[in-house]
Amino acid sequence: MKKECIAMLLAGGQGSRLYVLTGDMAKPAVPFGGKYRIIDFPLSNCTNSGIDTVGVLTQYRPLELNSYIGSGQPWDLDGSTGGVHILPPYQGAKGGTWYKGTANAIYQNLGFIDMHDPEYVVILSGDHIYKMDYSDMLARHKAANAACTISVMEVPWAEAPRFGIMSVDGDDMITEFAEKPKEPKSNLASMGIYVFSWKALRQYLIDDENTEGSENDFGKNIIPSMLANNERMAAYRFAGYWKDVGTLESLWDANMDMLAPESGLDLRDRSWPIYARSVSAPPAFLGENSAVAHSAVNRGSVLEGVVENSVLSQNVTVGEGAAVRYSVLFPNVEVAPGAVVEYAILGEGCKIGPGCRVGGTPENTPEGWGLTVLAPGCQLPEGKDAKAGIMLNRNGEEVSK
Amino acid sequence: MNGLHGIIFTYERRGNLQELGSIRSSASIPFGGRFRAVDFALSGLVNAGATDVGIILHGHYQSLLDHLGTGKDWDLSRKRGGLRLLPPFNYKGEWGAMPYRGHIEALTAVRTYLEEIRQDYVVMMDGDLVANLPLSDVYENHLKSGADITVVCANDSFMTEDGTYFQVGEGGRVAEVFVSPHTPRGLRGLGTYVVSKKLLLELVDDCAAKDQLSWRGDVLQARKDQLNIQSYIWKGYAAQIRSVQEYYDRSMQLLDPAIRADLFCAQRPVRAKNADLSSTYIGSGGKCVNSLFGDGCSIEGVVENSILFPGVTVEAGAVVRNCVIFKDSIVRKDAQLSYIIADKDVEVLPGRTLMGHVTYPIVLAKGSKV
Repeated sequence: MKKECIAMLLAGGQGSRLYVLTGDMAKPAVPFGGKYRIIDFPLSNCTNSGIDTVGVLTQYRPLELNSYIGSGQPWDLDGSTGGVHILPPYQGAKGGTWYKGTANAIYQNLGFIDMHDPEYVVILSGDHIYKMDYSDMLARHKAANAACTISVMEVPWAEAPRFGIMSVDGDDMITEFAEKPKEPKSNLASMGIYVFSWKALRQYLIDDENTEGSENDFGKNIIPSMLANNERMAAYRFAGYWKDVGTLESLWDANMDMLAPESGLDLRDRSWPIYARSVSAPPAFLGENSAVAHSAVNRGSVLEGVVENSVLSQNVTVGEGAAVRYSVLFPNVEVAPGAVVEYAILGEGCKIGPGCRVGGTPENTPEGWGLTVLAPGCQLPEGKDAKAGIMLNRNGEEVSK
Repeated sequence: MNGLHGIIFTYERRGNLQELGSIRSSASIPFGGRFRAVDFALSGLVNAGATDVGIILHGHYQSLLDHLGTGKDWDLSRKRGGLRLLPPFNYKGEWGAMPYRGHIEALTAVRTYLEEIRQDYVVMMDGDLVANLPLSDVYENHLKSGADITVVCANDSFMTEDGTYFQVGEGGRVAEVFVSPHTPRGLRGLGTYVVSKKLLLELVDDCAAKDQLSWRGDVLQARKDQLNIQSYIWKGYAAQIRSVQEYYDRSMQLLDPAIRADLFCAQRPVRAKNADLSSTYIGSGGKCVNSLFGDGCSIEGVVENSILFPGVTVEAGAVVRNCVIFKDSIVRKDAQLSYIIADKDVEVLPGRTLMGHVTYPIVLAKGSKV
């Protein structure tokens, strides 16, 4: 059935800079903000923008992600003429390969896109936290009569060398693109969100596939060759909250931002809900001696201790006399009585034994301070500590970041 | 086909629920911080392997319909079977005019539906029962005991409006049935019955032929000697939500961890419709103790010994003690509430003070502004 616009969501990334948190799952499946997974953001944005057909390109450890997405029902993406489709690499008559790059991943699914015969395709990443109306971006694309529209945001000049930077003319049409330039000519950074006219993109993907030595990447190959051919390339300015949560620090930062709507990340705004697969659990219980402040809590949790400046997911327990500060706790974490957790990210199902100390504040750590990160399933027996800045794997062994 | 079929009765009016019950059937009354009463019966049936559940409705059921949807939250949105809503459209000519006068009258009205039941056994339940019953165990007991009907009873004679109480003789057989007694004695019936489809149809037809309407009076009482009616005693938490006081007392019991462990036991999860709200946020000025919180609340004030449903806001300086606050209600700054049951979308303006008493909780009607 013909669709005006469909979305392709690149969710195959390993997320190696999240280290032990992505040991068993793809980055988009990593929990965020107490009740979400990262992928809830692009999926909910699609639904809220009126896009009902989404292809999710998976490759790395897809089990968790696939079972989370399921039929797509939590995001209303289970319609009979569209919905969410998981697209792993596959074998054809002439063999098959892993997705070599972002552009190759789309190329390998030309058939899927052709089946929907869209005018436009939105390309999304599975590792960004933001709320965006793609229909507004699409309107910009149409108004500019562009072959490609790239969403951009202004970043501080000092940070510009970390991004793909766009130079634009007076009509916000892109004139130049530079990947991580040492001397940026502009502070408009690409957010990795593209709208393409499908006919144009289709041809560029085919040409790119036939170009020897190409890395088959949107940023490195497709965009530069479209610019070189003088295609109409529009910039779409985005001013809201956007964060790439590809590193432990940025993941922690974004969680802290979610506690303070002044950061721009207001998840309580009901006009643009972020949907998530729900968990069957009773409401959160805050006990007689609990002291919870400036924190997010979720269903199934039983909190008897101190919780400050932290984001707690579902089914978390914090025992009496325990303290959790400036930390992000994934689902099913247990913090036993008397334990202290500071500046840490605790993976799903971590168990912190009585009296354990995990992490520390920057003030009390003279050297080598950093976030303390525990892999999902990691158990710290009574009295054992995990110093500030270290990372433990599932077996409780220290691994390097 | 073996297995259980569920029928949930939601037609009864409970005047003592005041404003809580006048806008909705008691089956859809919010309970326990994120549930509706009917979630417990539905989840109990689904957890016992039931795939088909019929819901008998009569009047004021908009709220219940909104809650149930297609039944997908309980995995009851199926190609065959699943959730069947049974509104009174086929009630003898007088549709919707008068509530059913008994379960038998209600069942007679859905006679064709009863015939189509694919399972050999039926569990009939009340929509306002809040308990996490092990129905597969009840069913097994029913088969083992060779009973014609099994009635599930609580291990107490607790007074509830329009209650049913059973005196049980040797071997658990029901010897006497009391309907709506002034002074309860015997075991409190939980409105939950297991019976074979075959016997149920016979009873419905026989009663209809004799112009009998009541399951309790015309079947349980009148035929207790002919039928082998066995009891199954449930020792866990079992609340029947039939008056404001009962609603309040039963709600507050959930602050006891042992009661929560029983009602929300991990083996039989209670499923509910999801509110799609974000995490609950407790602010820097929030002081929350001994309380339950649904998703998406925003708390800057004091909350003690209370139950808050999703999306409740308590502003700075406000104090909420011993209250039950339904979805999306707002307590503005410096307001003080104690022993209040606030229905959905209530707004308590800044500085207002409202006090009920533990023996007289005050209900604020849905959408009211104080």
